[in-house]
Amino acid sequence: MEAKRKMRFAMVCSSNMNRSMEAHSQLGRAGLDVASYGTGTHVKLPGPSLHEPNVYEFGTPYNVIYNDLRRKDPDLYKRNGLLPMLKRNTSVKLAPQRWQDNAGDGLFDVIFSFEERVFDLIVDDMHNREQRMLKNALIINMDVKDNHEEAGVGAKLALDFCQKLEATNDDWEEIIDDLIITFEKQHKRKLTYNMAFY
Amino acid sequence: MAVAAARDLPPTFHPHPSSSAMEPRLRQLRKVPLLDFVARIGDLRADEASPVRKLVAEMIGEVGSKHMAYLPNVMPCLLDLLNDDTPAVARQAIKTGTTLFAKVLQQLVIQGLFTSGGIDESLKLSWEALLKLKSAVSHMAFQPMSNEGARLLAIKFVEKTVLLYTPDPDSPPDPPNEVTKDMGFNVAWLRGGHPLLNVGDLAMEASQNLGLLLEQLKPPKVKSLSTSMIIVFVTSLSAIAQRRPSFYGRILPVLLSLDPASSTIKVQVPGAFHALKSAFAACLKCTHSSAEPWRARLLEAQNIINQADSIEHSSNRVESLPQMETTSTDNSNKRNLVDDMNNALEDGGHSKKRIKSHDDQEHTDNAKNSVEPTSVDVSSSLSTPASTGNSEAVYQLVNMFAALAAQGDRAAGSLQILSSSIAADLLAEVVMVNMQHLPVCRAEVDSQPFGTPSSSLLSACLPLLESLLKRINQNDREVDEVPPTIDSAVVPSAAGEIAAISSIPGSTSRNPPIEENSNSSSVPFDMETVEAKAPTVDASIEIQESSEASHASTEPQGTQEHGGSFISSLPADNSSVGLSLAQSSETRSPSSSMVEASQAQFSSTLTSQHVLPKLVVTNIDLSDEAKDLLQKEAFMRILGSDKQDASGGSIAHLPLLAHLGVEFPLDLDPWELLQKHVLSDYVNNEGHELTLCILNRLYREAEQDQDFLSSRTATSVYESFLLTIAESLRDMFPASDKSLGKLLCEIPYLPEGALKLLEGLCSPGSNEKQEKDLQSGDRVTQGLSAVWNLIMLRPSNRERCLEIALQSSIHHLDEVRMKAIRLVANKLFPMSSISKRIEDFANEKLNSVLEVVPADESASSELSTPEAPKDGGSENMSSSVADAQTLMSLYFALCTKKHSLLQHVFAIYGSLPQAAKQAVHRQIPILIRTIGSSPSLLGIISDPPTDSCDLLMQVLQTLTDGAMPSQDLISSVKNLYAKTKDIEVLFAVLSHLPKDEVLPVFPSIVNLPMDKFQVALSRILQGSPQNGPSLDPSEILIAIHVIDPDKEGIPLKKVIDACAACFEQRTIFTQQVLAKALNQLVEQIPLPLLFMRTVMQAIGAFPALVDFVMDIMSRLVNKQIWKYPKLWVGFLKCAILTKPQSYGVLLQLPAPQLENALSKNPLLKAPLVEHANQPNVRSTLPRSTLVVLGLAEDQQQPAPQAQNSQNQAAETSSSAADTTTEVTQESSAVS
Repeated sequence: MEAKRKMRFAMVCSSNMNRSMEAHSQLGRAGLDVASYGTGTHVKLPGPSLHEPNVYEFGTPYNVIYNDLRRKDPDLYKRNGLLPMLKRNTSVKLAPQRWQDNAGDGLFDVIFSFEERVFDLIVDDMHNREQRMLKNALIINMDVKDNHEEAGVGAKLALDFCQKLEATNDDWEEIIDDLIITFEKQHKRKLTYNMAFY
Repeated sequence: MAVAAARDLPPTFHPHPSSSAMEPRLRQLRKVPLLDFVARIGDLRADEASPVRKLVAEMIGEVGSKHMAYLPNVMPCLLDLLNDDTPAVARQAIKTGTTLFAKVLQQLVIQGLFTSGGIDESLKLSWEALLKLKSAVSHMAFQPMSNEGARLLAIKFVEKTVLLYTPDPDSPPDPPNEVTKDMGFNVAWLRGGHPLLNVGDLAMEASQNLGLLLEQLKPPKVKSLSTSMIIVFVTSLSAIAQRRPSFYGRILPVLLSLDPASSTIKVQVPGAFHALKSAFAACLKCTHSSAEPWRARLLEAQNIINQADSIEHSSNRVESLPQMETTSTDNSNKRNLVDDMNNALEDGGHSKKRIKSHDDQEHTDNAKNSVEPTSVDVSSSLSTPASTGNSEAVYQLVNMFAALAAQGDRAAGSLQILSSSIAADLLAEVVMVNMQHLPVCRAEVDSQPFGTPSSSLLSACLPLLESLLKRINQNDREVDEVPPTIDSAVVPSAAGEIAAISSIPGSTSRNPPIEENSNSSSVPFDMETVEAKAPTVDASIEIQESSEASHASTEPQGTQEHGGSFISSLPADNSSVGLSLAQSSETRSPSSSMVEASQAQFSSTLTSQHVLPKLVVTNIDLSDEAKDLLQKEAFMRILGSDKQDASGGSIAHLPLLAHLGVEFPLDLDPWELLQKHVLSDYVNNEGHELTLCILNRLYREAEQDQDFLSSRTATSVYESFLLTIAESLRDMFPASDKSLGKLLCEIPYLPEGALKLLEGLCSPGSNEKQEKDLQSGDRVTQGLSAVWNLIMLRPSNRERCLEIALQSSIHHLDEVRMKAIRLVANKLFPMSSISKRIEDFANEKLNSVLEVVPADESASSELSTPEAPKDGGSENMSSSVADAQTLMSLYFALCTKKHSLLQHVFAIYGSLPQAAKQAVHRQIPILIRTIGSSPSLLGIISDPPTDSCDLLMQVLQTLTDGAMPSQDLISSVKNLYAKTKDIEVLFAVLSHLPKDEVLPVFPSIVNLPMDKFQVALSRILQGSPQNGPSLDPSEILIAIHVIDPDKEGIPLKKVIDACAACFEQRTIFTQQVLAKALNQLVEQIPLPLLFMRTVMQAIGAFPALVDFVMDIMSRLVNKQIWKYPKLWVGFLKCAILTKPQSYGVLLQLPAPQLENALSKNPLLKAPLVEHANQPNVRSTLPRSTLVVLGLAEDQQQPAPQAQNSQNQAAETSSSAADTTTEVTQESSAVS
């Protein structure tokens, strides 16, 4: 019988705003050890028009963004759900974090992404890091549309899957294929995974 | 570190009771001397608690790396733990082993190089132990086992050993001068010699291990691997390839053979697929020169993967073999192209470098072959637009095309039919998909009808390639002229050669690792110098690698060329290569089989002395700006060529342009370019169709795109694109142009911006300039007709468009308003679905007049009479009247369609402010004239709301103005009169009433104020065209006179005035009329009061009537006028007035009356006497008269008179009274 060790999960999307934060919030509530990141170069939020997106640096606290948007156009941002989303985010953590800039956050057992582009960036980033520890990390991608409803659904699924992983006691290597196939059949969602070593 | 970690571990970390019991024991370990400690670690390795064993494995690592001397003691323990049943323990053991292995190896190298005294015994022992561990772990890596987690790590271990054993090209190949911490390690240092390690042996072992790793990914072994294993193998191998580029040649063929087409990876889980993809991507990033030759293959493989990936997405893992067929066709095409390109290069003298040292024609051919990857690189990197979101249908079509194309000329007809029967945008998609292979297709244009449509599009879409392709074509033709000689030379020999070939590649492929080893061991040190130094030195290895590479690459190519049949059974041995070649010579054109053959020759004639031309790929690194510019330029040229073709071209280019717009980087703003293009010649350029295409495409993007941001992006591009186009259409074309309306009707949806634009058209702002107003009328028409169309054709936008039309219908400009009202009332109101809404709106606006228009406006001074419209020009119309009119016009217009609405106008009329009333009066005539006397109007007339009198009068007047009122109307009016007793309501129909109906109301008319009386008078006189006047003038005079002021309650003054009014109209009340009237009046009994007055007035007006009046007067004398005192006065006045003619009449008076008259008017006497004294008169006069006149004696006088005239009477009548009575009786009898 091996000691029960908690797995560490990372939820990653491009801006660390919607999908990853929704998942962060849900996994956190379920008691899992979770963090969340974005892989974009900036935090990008829809603006009043195509040419005027709201762009912030990673690390800008959610409540700063919240206040900024509220000052700009409270109606618009309330309507498109940005303000409620930011409010939720402030209750989860302080500020959006960029995946590539936070390698110092330690090792994750599972890195869950919500967009293939993000997934590729993570895999790429992991391969570019120096491998010393021989600790393997599972990188999983599930495509989730970047809107509020889908983010909720995606987060629930991510939670479901992460709990299954947690239940494997860190021995997911043998059963990961089965897990994924079962999951895909059950939820009609496609999962992609890759592995990287710390 | 791990020990420290163990110390700090919280209790919760050891839930297992036995492990927590262990803890004190572990703590104790800190206190014992290290050697004892090591020994006791050994004891613990068999502990029953797995966490303990894991910790032991960890500790061994710590101890080993810090105190290498104890390693030999603990290594057996670690070896033991490797085979632990608990996966976590085994994993930890491998991790520890990996760390230790690297450390010890490094230590060993450092000691060997820097220590003069040789190597420690303990280090040697440790190394031996670690070598044991290495073989154990390597064994794990290559054997299927239950503990997959451990196996993964074992593979990483092998990867690590391979990396450790081979020189690192990125770090200095010479050892540093002195030992430093973190000095790193490079096996290349060992070249100088090492007491224990031989760099050659290590390289050989690494190569062997690599071979084993590769073996795992080849069939059949790969089939038994789980996805995670495949992933790890792939990532490990790609990591090796990246760090040791010299292995590219060995690793990549294997990775490339794993492409999803082959069934080797059955892609149970897309993970493997993905790992491969990222491995390729990672390998592509490698800039090392050994990697260059593989770029093309990698790019190609990446494309295939991307494509298959999208198939995967769309078709849910449908068997992808047919897809491969297309690519294979392309591949075979590519050969030709490559040849052609080489010819081109040769002709152009560009390939000198490549063929420099070779005079042999065959070898030139070989060189051509080896150039292939390069040229493909150029083409494929230029021709690979990201193919995303291709639908399944598209791929099916692609497959159909491919299948047909494979049949060659025979299928040309069917291809034609197929391509012509496909919808334009689908075809465009197909072309887009195939564009990835287009440069290749280009060469086959002549023989494959499939290529024709796409290549023409290609030339439009890839202008950059155009010139290149042209050159190729030229060479193509040149080649076509040449072939006979080549064919005859090569083809006959091909079969024979193939036989020979079949045996030759085997020599290189049978045991590649061994052969490589033999090579590398013979020139061990060249490996390091290869990259850095003289090309001549690396020749052997380079060739060796290349030969392997090219050989390996023939395998997948060969299979691809022949469709799916060979893909699953990837030929590993030479015989199948031969087979594939044989097949190729059967199925392919002579020239391509020649290539194949020469390629085979290439491998067969390859010897170590043949230096392959160094492949130089000129990757021009463009700056971002330059790339942007290039893309923009390309886009412009596409648009430019589209402009030229558009007039005669098919519409297939439209979806293509739209697609390009979507795929183009947003930063470069393709939309603006497209807009310009669309607008540059909207009419001739299919601007409408293109705009639709683009908007549809954007709409699709917006609706389907999963990404929050990009779907918003598409939406806003859609909206701004549409708005710009719409605005430009508005400004560019005359108002009569229908383009804008048509566009708005057909686009996927109407954004608010477009509606706003329409709104602006339909309700031009007040701030617009005056000169624009001229035009705005037409613009309004344009806008309104667009709105109308939208209401008809776009039910979902109906509400909003209706709103626009309604707003326009209360516009402050008359012109705008009238147009809008015409639309609303005539076109829209009849639509049952929206008529209610329109009616409500109009009603609301009408009612709003009550609030909006100020009640006490100066307008009220302008008295609101029914005549108001006549004198009101628009200039002096006060603003509030205009406002009221603005608000009410629509309602009035609706009234014409729905008469019952009028009721409400009457109902609120009374409460309307003055200005509004005025506005009503302005409009009501038009309205009433339009609707005529409809039943509902008659209903209102019969029973009008209170306070609506003025309005009613106007209505009646309008109704009867110039038209014959219907019987219904007349009776309605009579009903109304019966109720109200207001004579004025009858005015309107007065002229149409018969005489017997007019006479009873005549006194009331007389009783009216003078002005109204005159109106009535004129109406009566005017009469109706059919029946003439209801009363003729004389009848009117009579009617006036017969009024009895006392009885009727009408002041005499009124009657007098009425008479006077008549006399004023001399043209109507002529002499004859008066005469006729007087003639009749004189017979009235009793005589009308005003009779004498009228008589006198008549004479005043017409002196010629005096004779007639004398006659009347004499008749009055006969009627004993003196008995009516009032009239008698008048009579005398009249007699005075008419003297001397009246003398005759006076003399007819009986003597007493004469005397009375003379006494009242003494002045009369003298002239009268004089008159009577004339002999002819006097003789006729009775005596009594003469007596009165003083012409005869009192006594005498009566007798002659009596004798003369009537003796009897004179005798009997003694008193004057009696006489008079008698005279009266007589005269009445006479008359």
